[in-house]
Order: sequence, then C-alpha cells, then structure tokens
Amino acid sequence: MIRKIYKFLSSTKLALILLIAIFACCVMGVTILRGERAWRLIFNTLWFNGLLIFLVANVAFCFFGRIWGRKLTLISLGMILFHLSFVAILGGIVYNSLFYFRGVIRLTEGETLPNGELQSYDIVDRGRFFSFAKLKGETTLIKMHKGYKVNGADKQVAYEVAVGEGRSKQQGIIYITHKLDHNGFGYFRDKEGYSILIVLYDKLGRELYGAYVSLQSLKQKDNLYLYTTGTKYAPGNFPFPQPPSEPLFALQAAYNPDPKKERGGDTIFKVWSLVESEAESKGKPFAEGKAAIGEKIRIGDYYLSAREVRYWVGMNVRYEPGKPIVLASLWVGLGGMVITFIGRMRKGKK
Amino acid sequence: MKPEYAFFWIAVGLYGLSACSYIFGIIARNEKLFLFGLYSALAGYIPHTAVIAIRWSETGISPFFTISESIVFGIFCSVLIFVTLEFSNKKVRPLGVLVMPVAFVMMGWAGTLTKDAASQIAPSLQSWWIWVHIIGAGTGFGSVLVAAGLGLMYLLKEKYSGGIYEKLPDLQSIDNLGYRFVAGGFIMYGLMIVSGAFWANQVKGNYWNWDPVEVWSLISWLIYGIYLHLRITMGWRGRRLAWYALIALAAMIISYWGIPFTVETFHAGFRIEH
Ligand code: HEM
Repeated sequence: MIRKIYKFLSSTKLALILLIAIFACCVMGVTILRGERAWRLIFNTLWFNGLLIFLVANVAFCFFGRIWGRKLTLISLGMILFHLSFVAILGGIVYNSLFYFRGVIRLTEGETLPNGELQSYDIVDRGRFFSFAKLKGETTLIKMHKGYKVNGADKQVAYEVAVGEGRSKQQGIIYITHKLDHNGFGYFRDKEGYSILIVLYDKLGRELYGAYVSLQSLKQKDNLYLYTTGTKYAPGNFPFPQPPSEPLFALQAAYNPDPKKERGGDTIFKVWSLVESEAESKGKPFAEGKAAIGEKIRIGDYYLSAREVRYWVGMNVRYEPGKPIVLASLWVGLGGMVITFIGRMRKGKK
Repeated sequence: MKPEYAFFWIAVGLYGLSACSYIFGIIARNEKLFLFGLYSALAGYIPHTAVIAIRWSETGISPFFTISESIVFGIFCSVLIFVTLEFSNKKVRPLGVLVMPVAFVMMGWAGTLTKDAASQIAPSLQSWWIWVHIIGAGTGFGSVLVAAGLGLMYLLKEKYSGGIYEKLPDLQSIDNLGYRFVAGGFIMYGLMIVSGAFWANQVKGNYWNWDPVEVWSLISWLIYGIYLHLRITMGWRGRRLAWYALIALAAMIISYWGIPFTVETFHAGFRIEH
C-alpha cells in the first residue's frame, strides 16, 4: 500500500498531470473567471494552493528519487538546482505565511503614530507566529512632496517619513520605486489624499476648536474628483466638533483644489442641525457657503474656516521574512536551467 | 507623414516582400527566392531599427511600453535571431516561411495600434528591472518563433522529398535544433517572469499577486515547461512536438499580446483616492 502511494507520488505522469491542471486553472482564472472572482474562486482557495504544494511534493519525490545516485554532470547539476529551487520557493512561502506582517498606516503630515498599536493601522494582516514585539517605535509623516524628482526623473509624489524609536529615528524618502527599510519592515508608497484643518470660531472670532479631517476622493461622472468628507462611496457629514467635544451640528466639507496654487483653493461647507442629520441626512442643510483656504465664513452664530490643507498618505508596511528565500531561489532556479541548457549544448556538439 | 511612420511602413513592406518570397519559394521549390527573402528581411531590418531609434531619441524614453512598441520590439528580436541563424546555418534557409509572415502580420498589426511617443514615463516604469524584463520577453518570443518555424520545417520535410527538402538537415537534427530554441526561449521567459517579480516587489512590496498579466505570462511559460517535460520525461520526439511547437506559438501570441494588454493592471500616477 505504502509502496503504491509512493509510486504514484513519484511518477512523472503525476507531475505532468499536475502541471496541466495548474495550467488549466490559470487559463480559467484569466478567461471565464477574472480579477476578484478568479482570486476568490481559484487562486486564493485551499484546493488550488493544495495543488501547488502537491506539485512540490511530487518534485521532491519524483525528481530527487530519480536523480539520486546519478553521476553529477552539468546537466544533472542544473536540474538539481532547478528543482531544488522549486522546493525552496515553497519553503520560503510557507515560512513567510507564518511570520509575516502587513499593514496599511495612514498619516497626515506632521502626525506620528505608535507602530505597536493596532489602531495605528487601517488594515492589519499577519501570520500566526508574528510577534508584535517586533513593532517598535513610531512612524511620522514629515511631508508629502508633489512633483518629486530624482536625477531629473519625475516620481510624481514622495513621502518624507521618519521611523523608529526616540532619537534614533531613521529618516527617509519613499516613492513608487523606492521603499524605506527599517528593522526588516519595508514601507511602500500606496496612496495619498487631502486633509483640511477645520477651525470653529465664535461670533467674536475667538477660536473654539480645530481638527484635521481626511477627505475622500470620489470620482464624478465627468471623471473629475470630488474631495469631501464622507465614506468611500458617497459624500457625508459628521458631528462637529468631533466627540469627545460637544458637537454643535453636522458638517460636510468639500475641498476644491486650485490647479495653479499648491495647497490652495476653496472649501464648501454644508451644515445640518444634529437632530435633522440623524432623522434624515439628505434633508436640506440649514446653512451652506464657500470660503477660500484660510478665510472664514459665517454659519449661524459661528464662523468656520478651512485654515490649512495638508496631505495624508497611506503606506503599506510589510515584514516578510520568507521573501528573500523565495527571491534568491528564483535566481538559483534560472541559473539551474541555464546550466542544464549549456550542458546539453556541449553534449550535442560532441 | 512623420519619418518615423514612413520608416515603419517601409519595414512592413519589406517584411511583406520577404514573406511572399519565402512562401513562393516553398511552392515553386526555388531556392533563389529564399535568398531573396532573406535579403529583403535584412533590408527591412534597417528601417525597423530606425523606427526604434527615432522614437527613442525624440523623447529620451525607451520605446518599449505600449502594446505596439512591445510588438515592434518582439519582432525586432525575432528577426535578429532568425537572420543570425540563417547566416550561421545555411541548411535551414526555408525557415523564413513561418518567421517572416508572422513578422509581417504582427508588424502590420502593431502599425494599426501605434501612437505618438509618450512625453512622460510613468514612475512605476522607472526601474532597471524593466530592462531585463523587456529583453527576456523579446528574445524569448524570438526563440519560440524560430522553434515553431523549425517545427514547420520538420513537418514539411517529413511529408515531401527531393529538391529543396534534400538540402534541409535530417529530421533528427531539425528536431534537436527546435528543442534548443524552445529551451532557450523557456529560459528567457523565465528571466522575464523573475525580473517581473523583482520589479513588482520593488514597486508594491510583493512579487506575485495572481494578477492577469502575471497569470498570462505564467501560462505562456507553462506551455513550454510542459513541452520540455513531454520531451524529457515522456520521451516525445519529432512530429508530435513539431505540432506542439506550432500550436504553442499561437497560444503564445494570444497570451502575450492578445489579451493581457486589454486589461489595465499597472496603473500609476498621482491618484488621490481612498
Ligand atoms: C511536479 C513537478 C515536477 C517534477 C516531478 C519534475 C520532474 C522532472 C524530471 C524527472 C526531469 C528529468 C530529469 C531526468 O533527466 O530524468 C525534469 C526535467 C526538467 N524539468 Fe521538471 N519537474 C517538475 C516541475 C517542473 C516545472 C514546474 C518546470 C518548469 C515549468 C520544470 C522544468 C524542467 C526542466 C527545464 C527540465 C530539464 C529539461 C531539459 O533537460 O532541458 N519542472 N523534471
């Protein structure tokens, strides 16, 4: 029985069947099913990943079973390297899946968040054995640079950040082809947006309250973007001042950037009474108006101002200890193929 | 007409002439037409090179990114590999009967898709990996195209005899040569995928995401991986693999240029969104 299983596991037929099965899944995943659905129904399923692991098990049994004891030539050396890299890649992936950390951290310019607290991240995903003790220090977004250039090449945007503990903070620049590395954690550029500083004044112009509010970018029918408070899906209002302060009304703010003046433009405010906004958020606002950045507008007994525009950025934070194994194995594998190829060419010449 | 486009269509015309001479050469069994086809291909290569050079010097941006640019470069590598083989091995002259019509049709297709050179290069493409990636893809395609041409030679030689067919290498040699080009192409595609993985890792922090372009390139790679296993472990030879190489080429063109470019995956640029 065990012999039979071993024989099946180590047959070259099985290798070919598996290769063809994976091939067929890939074709399915980009034709009939696509994108998100392909990911859900094929590439991210247990059975598909099982198939991949099965293939590697098969390589291990079949290939190394056959090659064992054979004379070491250029051809067989290359093949060993190649199929070994295959096994190592899987090893790297499995190891990584146990220890990785992936998070999205969102910061407004000037803001600092502790790395070790889950609330600092919009999204967190991690391997079973990832230790939170690894997340030390804090992350600060110093500034977002627009139109950033490196040796004349336009990188469009770059984030200037500092990561680490206390005075030993490491400062660096991140743009699309350049990450920041800190203690094994990579910081990658992901997305960016506007935050506005909304300030509330009383009738006499005395400052009562202020807060940075991140805006959503919503694509409009005419392909232009609307930058407003709300959710990913629609504009919306929020209690202002924000709890724990005592809210006075519900506010929606939409920022309209000036194409010529960086961080300039104007803001449209719409205000609902708190009761009304709860009852029917679509009702007519009791006040609305527009003011340039830095200017005040009267709303009932108060004044409102979008005093300043800052950028917020979202960064992918990744710790993937298995990745170097995978990436190095790719080259070993390619090298193995080249060695086998050279071996065959030389043999053919004779 | 801008000189770039004039050169482009001259190249297409000469490749067309070359394709016709090869096809008539096979029908009329006339070797002189093969030689004429080879020299027309060589003549077409000059304006072909000029197109790339003009585009490049106009903007300073390497012209290998859009679909038509990618095809133009793929054919550039293919014709180079083909012509080099023709001059180093006089026995495989009729090879152009597959290679040149494919070059002609693909270039014509690229001509209908071509756009003026971009004035800016997307930041995600400003990476050295993209060079390795492009060269792997171009030479990989050239190799498997030549392998398919050798497959056709094999099938023709098996069917017919006398005249031009006597001058071809014997069946086993054609088979072996075809295998080498598949293996070479497989390695270059491997290089394309590996450099693509490193590039994605540089830009996004992950090397493989099962996105359509990645999966399509894996498909084209697996097609040839299966070829190698059919040969080495299942002992396939000759006719069956010759057919396989021909069909694989068609699958290759579809999976490489046909579909992936219709889906947008690597979008870059300033996007303020949440
Ligand atoms: C189930 C997994 C696999 C098994 C069991 C397997 C097994 C084998 C075996 C037995 C050989 C021939 C060794 C000999 O001379 O006896 C071989 C060669 C080879 N395999 Fe695999 N293999 C597997 C996966 C792969 C994959 C996924 C690829 C790439 C697509 C691949 C590429 C190659 C190459 C390039 C050769 C050498 C061909 C040559 O000699 O030029 N293998 N494999």
